[in-house]
Amino acid sequence: MRQGKYPFIVGFLAAPVLLYVVFVVSPYVQAFYISLTDWKGISANPRFIGLENFTRLFDDEVFWAAVRHHGVLLLVMPLATLVIALFFSFLLNLGGGQHGGRMAGIWGSKVYRVIFFLPQVLAVAIVGVLFQAIYRPDETGVLNSLLGKVGIDPVGWLIDPDIALLSIIGVMVWQAVGFYVVLFSAGMSSIPPDVFEAAALDGAGRFTLFFRITIPLLWDTMQVAWVYLGIAAFDAFALVQVLSVDRGGPDNSTTVLPMEIWRTAFNFSKFGYASAMGVALFFLTITFAALTLRVTRRERIEF
Amino acid sequence: MSHSAGTPGDITRRQMLRRIGMSALIAGPGAGLLTACATGGGAAPASSASPAASAGGAVSAKNPFGVPANAPLEVVIFKGGLGDGYAVEVHEPLYKKAFPQAQIKHVATQQIAQTLQPRFAGGDVPDMIANSGTDLMDNAALQKEGQLLELTELWDAPSIDDPSKKVRDMVAPGTVESGLIDGKPYLMNYVFSAYGLWYDSALFEEKGWTPPKTFDEFKTFAETAKAAGITPFAYAGKNAAYYAYWMILISAAKIEGNQILVDVDNLVDGVWQRDAMKQSAAAWAEIGKHMDKSFEGLIHTEVQLRQNQGKVALYPSGSWLENEQKAQTPKEFKYALTPTPSVTAADKMPFEAIRAAAGEAYIVPSKAKNPRGGLEYLRLMLSKEGAKGFTEKSGNITVVTGAADGLELTPGNASLSAAQTAAGQNIVTFSSFENWYKEFETELRKQTNALMFGRISADEFCEKVQKAADKTKADSSITKQKRTV
Amino acid sequence: MATDTARKPAARPSAPAHVRRRRKNPIGAFGVLSHLALLVWAILIVGPILWTFLSSFKTNTEIFGDAITLPASFGWDAWGRAWEKAHIGQYMLNTVFVVACATAGTMLLGSMAAYVLARYTFPGNRLIYFLFVSGMTFPVFLALVPLFFVVKNLGLLDTHLGVILVYIAYSLPFTVFFLSAFFKTLPTSVAEAAMMDGCSHTRTFFQIMVPMAKPGLVSITIFNILGQWNQYLLPIVLLTGNVEDKWLITQGVANISTNAGYEADWPGLFAALSMAIVPVMIVYIIFQRQIQSGLTSGAVK
Repeated sequence: MRQGKYPFIVGFLAAPVLLYVVFVVSPYVQAFYISLTDWKGISANPRFIGLENFTRLFDDEVFWAAVRHHGVLLLVMPLATLVIALFFSFLLNLGGGQHGGRMAGIWGSKVYRVIFFLPQVLAVAIVGVLFQAIYRPDETGVLNSLLGKVGIDPVGWLIDPDIALLSIIGVMVWQAVGFYVVLFSAGMSSIPPDVFEAAALDGAGRFTLFFRITIPLLWDTMQVAWVYLGIAAFDAFALVQVLSVDRGGPDNSTTVLPMEIWRTAFNFSKFGYASAMGVALFFLTITFAALTLRVTRRERIEF
Repeated sequence: MSHSAGTPGDITRRQMLRRIGMSALIAGPGAGLLTACATGGGAAPASSASPAASAGGAVSAKNPFGVPANAPLEVVIFKGGLGDGYAVEVHEPLYKKAFPQAQIKHVATQQIAQTLQPRFAGGDVPDMIANSGTDLMDNAALQKEGQLLELTELWDAPSIDDPSKKVRDMVAPGTVESGLIDGKPYLMNYVFSAYGLWYDSALFEEKGWTPPKTFDEFKTFAETAKAAGITPFAYAGKNAAYYAYWMILISAAKIEGNQILVDVDNLVDGVWQRDAMKQSAAAWAEIGKHMDKSFEGLIHTEVQLRQNQGKVALYPSGSWLENEQKAQTPKEFKYALTPTPSVTAADKMPFEAIRAAAGEAYIVPSKAKNPRGGLEYLRLMLSKEGAKGFTEKSGNITVVTGAADGLELTPGNASLSAAQTAAGQNIVTFSSFENWYKEFETELRKQTNALMFGRISADEFCEKVQKAADKTKADSSITKQKRTV
Repeated sequence: MATDTARKPAARPSAPAHVRRRRKNPIGAFGVLSHLALLVWAILIVGPILWTFLSSFKTNTEIFGDAITLPASFGWDAWGRAWEKAHIGQYMLNTVFVVACATAGTMLLGSMAAYVLARYTFPGNRLIYFLFVSGMTFPVFLALVPLFFVVKNLGLLDTHLGVILVYIAYSLPFTVFFLSAFFKTLPTSVAEAAMMDGCSHTRTFFQIMVPMAKPGLVSITIFNILGQWNQYLLPIVLLTGNVEDKWLITQGVANISTNAGYEADWPGLFAALSMAIVPVMIVYIIFQRQIQSGLTSGAVK
């Protein structure tokens, strides 16, 4: 009556692994091979050139600019998102003070939560197009129009090389915060109420509650959040493509690796070199993922 | 080109373009656009009306390429400023009329490269492509990979309007040459465009302004316009930085002569750091200072709309502009073209000189299923009926001589023809590097924005662009092209 | 634990308002500042979306005039143009079909693989696991051109089936990564007891483990629906311009965005954007509680 273990394992793994190998692994393996060629992406006659594409990466300043931007993204985007999201979720869940030892959320927190989460369900392509109008650099842009009402000159959100990348990060944060507010809210509600009761009895104020109790107890959730955000920081392609000046400008100030890969492959027809950039991106991401996985590895819980 | 029958072998590009300037676009009601055939002969009465003697064989007088009558044809059109109505409503019906059994598949897209790149790699290619737009495919790379059909056969085929003449004799001189890659014709450049600064003549009249003839006047004009609350000059940095570098190149050519543009295309050492280039870049950067920073974040249609709203005085563009803005232009707005101002008193070319050239490449993939049909489609485009329909639908003039006869001239086209008459033989040559070296071109766009929006000096601009040109020259993975005229 | 808590938060906060009012607890400076902060962010979220709706009624001149004004009149011209030209309705239906199939497939195959990888030791387990996980890190469009050939050679180009299979394959890495972590957290005792009772491995999975893993499954399902709904690059390559009637919604939006640039029809663009946003918003508002708790409950555990 009982199946053998191995037929079961094979039976369960066959379809997903087959699908995965055919549609994901094989194209990527081909991409690795292409990175060692000078393939133009048009005819089927790539010439093997060894590691030439990779040595070329070393003095490609655009490539390094893109790598630096991923560094900025990895640092600023998750940090800003987490801080804002933590702050709001604290207000929404615990900001109402305590009633009979039970922490309460602020009035209207449910509505806020619905609104905050909204951008999460919009396609990035849509968000990008939307923010074109928000960030428009003269007084007809939504933001600059508002600034104009209080007498501030228009800001070149996407055209000033010093703030263009931050503006794009702003969109990512705008879209992401709601998700993490909900995530942290769920985390906070899973903190046993007696923890707060005990703290409240000890006379802890809201700030103590926030920094001494909430944050340490949410540590695990925050790590998960950081993985999600980190992976997002290696993308940013759609927003950069839609929003930035001349796709990655001005002066390369917003470019990211996916953007350069896209350009190199589809505009310059240098699929070999583009693939080499992709391989570099792969190693960057895998390093990040490996580090994070190590930190956040979950132990198996036995009951 | 030696086998070219209709065009004298020794004719230079300058001379050819001069003929366009002199003979084409003579203003006035009833005057034809590109009326006079460059080779001198007027179009003889079309003899194609009489049925061709032998239509039985695959190749016949009516079917010079031997197109299989029932083979399907797939046409991919870049649906940008020209729309795709000209294909759907004019050229495809013409093809259908010639081959009633043929199924025509029409694909319109803005993402030419994304749509077609994989299909090229997979060998499943359409039969004719309007390869254009921001995401166009790299023609030189296609040619290098043997993906393009050589068009010599097309140019040597009998014209539909006059089978005693070849197709090449029915188009503006220089058309065939502008589509050469590696010395052979691969691109059919169909649209005839002139480039310069466009303005609203009604607005200028109302304000009592005249377009500046020198850069000193330009600077004074900039102050005047600014005082009137109008941006004197602007272009769209977000996606159309090339409109600005065209101006820099045109001014450089006016200072030094067309050789500098030939040298730019040939990646000649130090060409970007020659005096003419530095002077031109410095002059334009000076004008750029009067431009609001915000224009770097706008796309071309947004800036063009602002000009229609009377907020921008002079806008660098080509002659398609008027049609592109048709729906947005207030009726009192009158497009007019003025040449780029002279930089120095010693300029080799006078103020009146403008750039005029054939552009918008149409290609036939060599590995198409019905490449003969693709060629025939191009031949139909180059017929008077096809070209006239194109002008009606798209508002743009084609390279086909005399095809726009009888069409009423818009203010912009009237101004264009006046400018061409004034320019006479002083025609600034075209640039090929934009098609040949996409990577270099991308860098040039970046640096143009940096220069025009005041982040780098003209010297730095020239140095950086030269560095990018040197890099392309040294890059063994990029096939180098050469032009002589 | 996760099962219970995840559903709570949405239901809870309504109570305190009455409580506070009854106790006449005045809203202090902290409360005012909190509300201010929350309100500002809420406006930041709603503002742009509302502005998009309003812009669909404006003319080009109004759009490029003062941004903070109402349209002069509310006509539906732009909506008509966008509907007709952008085929938003057709694209929406296509997308619903593709995403429904792909998500179902992803969940079935993904949970099967994740379960086996999480709960069984066998040679090659780690290898397969990391094979899946590493897929999360690779830039998708680098594989675009080779992928195109794979799909084409299978005769699946320009078909919805091709897109569905590719969506499933590309959703597997995160699904497997997430669910295998989830399966690991589930107690082993129940499954062991079931096996002792003579349940087969397959039955144990479908009848014992799947119900136990429901919170994780729900959250990753919603995650996949959103991800696939918003996918942009894959459909561009896999559904070419030849089959415009099979296009998906993001392609349609991107297309009309480019069109608007060339044809200078910005009201049409904003109308199309609004059309793409409205149904999603309606679904979201109806199911917001499920969506929110679903997306996050698994991650909390």
